[in-house]
Amino acid sequence: MSDFFSKLGELFSTPEYIDSLLHGFLLTIQISYFALLIGILLGTIIALIDTAKPSKWMAVPKFICRVYVGMIRGTPMALQLFIMFFVIFAVKGFPSIITAIIAFGLNSAAYAAEVIRGGILSVDPGQTEAGLALGLSRWTIFTKIVAPQAIKNIIPALGNEIITVIKETAIVSMVGMYDLNMAAKDIGSGQNMASYIVPMFVAALFYLATIYLIMFIVKRIEKSLRRSDLRTEE
Amino acid sequence: MNNKNTDLKIKNLRKAFGKNKVLNGIDFELVEGERVVILGPSGSGKSTFLRCISWMEEPTAGEMYFDGELVTEKNIRRIRRNIGMVFQHFNLISNMTVMENLTLAPVKLKLMKRDEAEKRARELLKHIGLLSKVDAYPASLSGGQKQRVAIVRAMMLSPEVLLFDEPTSALDPESIGDVLSLIRELAERGMTIMIVTHEMSFAKEIATRIVFLDKGKIIEEGTPSEFFTHPKTPRVREFLEKVL
Repeated sequence: MSDFFSKLGELFSTPEYIDSLLHGFLLTIQISYFALLIGILLGTIIALIDTAKPSKWMAVPKFICRVYVGMIRGTPMALQLFIMFFVIFAVKGFPSIITAIIAFGLNSAAYAAEVIRGGILSVDPGQTEAGLALGLSRWTIFTKIVAPQAIKNIIPALGNEIITVIKETAIVSMVGMYDLNMAAKDIGSGQNMASYIVPMFVAALFYLATIYLIMFIVKRIEKSLRRSDLRTEE
Repeated sequence: MNNKNTDLKIKNLRKAFGKNKVLNGIDFELVEGERVVILGPSGSGKSTFLRCISWMEEPTAGEMYFDGELVTEKNIRRIRRNIGMVFQHFNLISNMTVMENLTLAPVKLKLMKRDEAEKRARELLKHIGLLSKVDAYPASLSGGQKQRVAIVRAMMLSPEVLLFDEPTSALDPESIGDVLSLIRELAERGMTIMIVTHEMSFAKEIATRIVFLDKGKIIEEGTPSEFFTHPKTPRVREFLEKVL
């Protein structure tokens, strides 16, 4: 146990190690952030196409979305990452961070689409009917009535997706990228600390702290969105 | 001769959900000032009939004229402003306060300025005794309060016709009276009304005409006194024996 604490002291008193951890952490956050940006944006578009009123114009886009979501959800993330790195973006000098962001973004889009789609479908159809009966346009009904109610159902599940992506980015170490996970492995290796337990423990704390922060923010947003559900007046 | 306008004319209205044929050719006319109560056993297509009039369900076949204009997918949005609809489950917009529920459509459709709409909303809410709920969200209202707000919301657009789809079926007995007296009041003021209801005594009292639907067809219609005291068809006689 005293060995653990002395190692902990060693890690935090060695600027190179701290620097490695922070660099790794920064890459993890960068990939997660931009991937989620793509994921939520593209996921929203897919969900909107998927829940749109069926018509002959929508038949092909709807089919494409279904196939896309099916393919992404039906194959391992690690394989998708490999395909991006070794097939699609196997161009010398192409920045690996971009490749990783695209890989995780496209993956996250499929899951976000399912979450958003579920949120939209969970809104009582009577709400849309009320809008139609009042002569409102489909656009007004969606933006003023359906979307604000859907968001309440979407936020908690989307929070989950955010957490999943942050943790899943750890597999970029498989293609040699220096993220938080890789930093822990590197610091623990023979030519550095020659002990894995402490750097991996510290990396775990970094992940945990990030995820707790996100859970806290999501809870706050959820709470403020639930205002109109309260049975008391403001 | 009466010089009243025909608000609504329906020819051979049909509606099927997949293979399930719900309406099988309905011919119907509604004249200004009429109060038509639609009766019939469950599954006879009463609600579907009403929902087809406001195009909540798109008819499978048939023609519908509103104020002489053929209703199509293109003009239905404009026409709906003149056809108020009150639902069984109220359908107040749950993310909006009572005031927002009332003012959303008139302001969005540019029929009133916001302050005008708010003034009108306050007047109507005051009239039904719910002015204190103006900033409340629907979740904090009782069923009867929700339905009265929903009726007032429909009235905000000053529709020519008001459709009620089982407006009291989801209410507790105490609230039913409040909602019915509001409908009665609208009737007394000359509102053209179509209503699907199971409240027989209310139907008898309020209707100028009863329409009886069975298996998606109108099989009998007439004034309440004709209908309730001298039913013509065995099917209606059987129905009345059960419900009265």
